[in-house]
Amino acid sequence: MTMLSDDDANLSELSDEEAALAWDLWFDLAQSTNDADPPYTHGVLLTACLGDAAAAPEKWCDNAPPSDP
Amino acid sequence: MGGNIYFDLTRAFNRLEPTVALASGQAVVHYRVAIMSKDGDWVIRENADACERVLDVLAQHGAAYRPGAPLDPRWLSGGWSSHFEFSDDRGRRIRCDFFSRPPRVAAAAIERLFTTSNGPFLVIDLESLIRMKHTLRAKDYAVIGALAAQLAPEREIRFTTDPERVMHLAPVHGRGVDRPAVQAAIAGDRDAVIIALAREQDARQQRDRRRLDAYAAAAGPYLTAFAHLSPEHRRLPEGHRRALALADRLLPPTVAHPEPADDDAE
Repeated sequence: MTMLSDDDANLSELSDEEAALAWDLWFDLAQSTNDADPPYTHGVLLTACLGDAAAAPEKWCDNAPPSDP
Repeated sequence: MGGNIYFDLTRAFNRLEPTVALASGQAVVHYRVAIMSKDGDWVIRENADACERVLDVLAQHGAAYRPGAPLDPRWLSGGWSSHFEFSDDRGRRIRCDFFSRPPRVAAAAIERLFTTSNGPFLVIDLESLIRMKHTLRAKDYAVIGALAAQLAPEREIRFTTDPERVMHLAPVHGRGVDRPAVQAAIAGDRDAVIIALAREQDARQQRDRRRLDAYAAAAGPYLTAFAHLSPEHRRLPEGHRRALALADRLLPPTVAHPEPADDDAE
């Protein structure tokens, strides 16, 4: 059973330079979703609730795991 | 022409001596499993020199603290993580995360990583990366299957999340492997393999959530205070002094875990 897509699997066939360029292009595109990202995407604070009502810009308290690794 | 800035940062952090190892999502990119992760995560050596070296590089980029522990061995040794952010010369958001005690990874594996390094581009080994990926997020388990496929068969059988691989590998490599899914595969019971893998994943997810919830509870007062720091006060190098001052008062260096953090480690 294939666990990831063919495109993902084909990454192994890229040269180091091609892989770096592919990631760089993806990273450029991924900037468009920055505003939707939660303040925590990793580390031991993944499920933490930051601050109080006065800290609304960084408040993220739904306690759900985010989608970004 | 671009490249992976997190790979470049790894080389910069390690310019003088082995200081960090690339981990998590960017390590998955390195192993060519997927193009993923907008953040960079590193295992950092647990000493003051390593922290100072990393903070210097980050300060040169104009980085600021995000909510998280100060990058200091006192908190790193308690399993805390430190988080930073800056914009690169193309205006892209760069997020950098550091920890010295990756969950579920034995201390000996981390020590081996730094003492056997060869050159400034240092990446966590496959098995440690897989252990780190035993998180609460469901999608990490597909990545684990793809990472495990790069291991030798006798090691892959201990980690793979792919039922087809479990069924295929178990007859030859499954003896002595203490996984219910493997034992079910040896017995030829495919349904039991599927159920065992699902239960194994759920147990790992729940265990990781309990670990993270313990840190979240302990971090509450510190995070509340941190949230009131202005962006300028979070910027390095001053931001480090402020984070340390807050943590000294409000962030316990150690957190009582509901179970050992490295209970999977061999």
